[in-house]
Amino acid sequence: MSTVQTMSHPIIERCEQLYEDLSLNYVRDQTNATGRKAFGFMPVYFPREIVYASGLLPVGLMGAGDLLEIIKGDAYFQSYICHIPRSTVEMGLSGHLDCLSGMAFPAICDVIRNLSGMWKIMFPQKESIYFDVPQNFDPQIGGHYLVEELKQLAVRMSKISGKPVTHEALHAAIALYNTHREWVMKCYAQRSKKPWEVPTSELYLLMRAGLILDVQEHIEMMKAYLESVADLDRKPMDNARVVLTGSFCEQPPIGLIRSLERAGCYIVDDDWVLIHRWIKQAIPTQGDPFQNLADAYLKHSMDAPFKYQPERKGHQLKQCFIENRAAGVLFCAPSFCDPALLDRPMIQKFMEAEGIPYTSFKYAENTGQYQVIKEQAGTFSDSLKLWGEA
Amino acid sequence: MKTVGIDVGSSSIKFVMMEGETILAKHQEKMRRRDPKHVAEEGFQFLCSSAGVDPSEVVYIATTGEGEMVTFRTGHFYGMTTHARGGLYLNPDARAALDVGALHARAVLMNERGRVLQYKMTSQCASGSGQFLENISRYLGTSVDEIGLISTQSKNPEPCSSICAVLAETDVINMVSRGIKTADILKGIHLSIAGRLMKLLKACKAEGTVILTGGLSQDKGLLACLAELTEAEEQKKGSLPFQFTSHPDAVLAGAIGAAIWAAFRAKRFQEQIGA
Repeated sequence: MSTVQTMSHPIIERCEQLYEDLSLNYVRDQTNATGRKAFGFMPVYFPREIVYASGLLPVGLMGAGDLLEIIKGDAYFQSYICHIPRSTVEMGLSGHLDCLSGMAFPAICDVIRNLSGMWKIMFPQKESIYFDVPQNFDPQIGGHYLVEELKQLAVRMSKISGKPVTHEALHAAIALYNTHREWVMKCYAQRSKKPWEVPTSELYLLMRAGLILDVQEHIEMMKAYLESVADLDRKPMDNARVVLTGSFCEQPPIGLIRSLERAGCYIVDDDWVLIHRWIKQAIPTQGDPFQNLADAYLKHSMDAPFKYQPERKGHQLKQCFIENRAAGVLFCAPSFCDPALLDRPMIQKFMEAEGIPYTSFKYAENTGQYQVIKEQAGTFSDSLKLWGEA
Repeated sequence: MKTVGIDVGSSSIKFVMMEGETILAKHQEKMRRRDPKHVAEEGFQFLCSSAGVDPSEVVYIATTGEGEMVTFRTGHFYGMTTHARGGLYLNPDARAALDVGALHARAVLMNERGRVLQYKMTSQCASGSGQFLENISRYLGTSVDEIGLISTQSKNPEPCSSICAVLAETDVINMVSRGIKTADILKGIHLSIAGRLMKLLKACKAEGTVILTGGLSQDKGLLACLAELTEAEEQKKGSLPFQFTSHPDAVLAGAIGAAIWAAFRAKRFQEQIGA
C-alpha cells in the first residue's frame, strides 16, 4: 500500500512561511541585526555572486502569487499584460519591499524591461537597474559586452554597500554559489530518482526559500532536507512522470502545483525558480572572475525562450525528457507570457516530430480555480499510464 | 493477481475486488455525512473480509472519482477512464458510457479496448443529476428507490425546467401546489434529465450501444424516458441514434474499471519503481 504525501515537514513549513511572507521579515531581521543591506532582483538570471561579493544580501522576487489583492498594480498595466509586474508594483507601492536598497530587472521581456523604468520613477531614492544580457554568444562580441555589464554592476553594488567587489571576494562568492548549485542539483536529482520521496510542492518551496535566505543558510537547509527525506517512509504511487516547462518567470500558485501532483503527475523536472540551476556547471574560481561569469553565461547557461537560439528550440526539453525518464510534457505557461507562449508552438512541433506526448495549459500567479487544469493533467496522466506504449 | 477499485462518489463509495476478469467481491457504502477517508478505509476492510482475502494480497488499489483523498491508494484514474473500461466490461458491445452520478453526468465514447475517444460533461448545474432527484423525492415524500417505479406509472408527465436545478425545484413546488400527481412530476423530471443526457451524447457523436453507469444507472424511470426519447428520434429521423442498455452492476462501473486498469498497471508500476 502507498501513502499520499500529505505529512508536514518542519523544513518545508519554514520554507512555506518564507514563501508567504511578502513583507520579507527575514530580510528585515537580517538588515536590522547586521546592518547588511539587501538588493532585490526579478526572474530569471541575475549574477548573485556580484551582489554577494559586494556584501549585500541578494533577494529574489517572483511576484506575490495569490497572496496579495492587486489594487494599485492594475492601474499600471493593460489587461493583456501578465500578472507578475502587477503584484511586484503592488508590493513596492504598499511598502512590502522597503527593506530592499534597490531592484534589478533582468532582460527577459518588454514588460519587465519597462518595469525597470517605471520603478525608477516610482522609487527615485532607490537604485533601479535594468540588467541586459547579450543575444550574441560570440565571446568577442557578446562576451565582451557582458564582462563590461558585470563590471558596471559591481560598481553599482559597491556604491550601495560601501564595499568594493574585489577579485578575491568575487572568487569566494562564486565558490559559494558553486556549492549551492551542487546541492540544488542533488535535490533535483533526488526528486527525479524518487519523486515520491521529494514531492515537487516541497522542492518548489525549498527552492523559493533559496531566493530569500542567505546562500550559506540555504545550503544547510538543502542538506538537512535531503537527509530528512531519506528517513521518511514515503511510498511510491503509480503516477505518470512528466517534465513541466514554460513557467520560468511568473510562477503558478502553490495550490496549482499541489493539484498537478494530486492529479497523478510526478513532475520530474521543471523550470520554476530557474536561477538556481541557470548555470549548469561549476564556474572556475581562478583567473578573471568577471570573465568567468560571462563565459558561464555564454557557454554553460540553460536554453530559454528569452535567449535567441532559433536552431535549438526543443532540444534541451527533449534531452531533459530522456534523462528524467519522463513519459510526457506539461506545457504550463502564464497567460500573456510572450517568451513562453511564442516559443510554445515551435517546441510543440518539435515534440510532435519526436513522438513525445504533451498537453498544454495556462495560468496566472493568482489563479484560484485549479479544477479544469487538474482534470486536464489527470486525464493526461491516465493516457500516459494506459496508452503511453500503445 | 488481486486488485481493488474504489470509486469515491458524492453520495456513496463503491468498492470492487477483481482477479483477472472475475469480480471477487463488491460493496457499496453510503456516505451519510461521514468522513470519506474513514468510509473508504472501512469499506476496503469490509470488502477484503467478505472476499476472504488478506489486504496484503491486494497488489494494487486504484481509486477513481474523488478518490484522491484515499491515502492508501496505489494509483488514481479519472472517471471517464474508469467508466469507459467498466462499461465495456459490463457490455462488450458498448461504445459509449453515460455516467450519471449524484452531482454530474458525462458521456464518454470509447473504442473496443476501452480507450476514451471523446467525452462531454454537464456544466456546474446539478439539474441532470442524482442529487437533484434525491432532493425532489424528499419534497414529494417518496423514497429514492421508489422514484423509478412511480415515474413509469405516469400517464401525463408535467414538463419541468431542464436548465437549472433551482428553477426545477421551484417548478416542482408549484406542481405540488397545483395538485399534479407525483408520478407525472417524476416523469417530467426524468424526461428533463433524459433530454440533457441525449444532448451530451449527441455532442459526442455517440453511436451504437450506450451503457448507463453510475448512481442513476438502475433508475427504471430514467431508462424508460431515454428509450422514449430515442424512439421519438427514430420516428422523426428514420434511424435509431443509439440503443441504451444497463447492467445490475452498472453502478459499480467506475470501481470495476479502476480495478481492471489496476491489473493492467500493477506489473509496469513495480517495474518502474524498481528501475
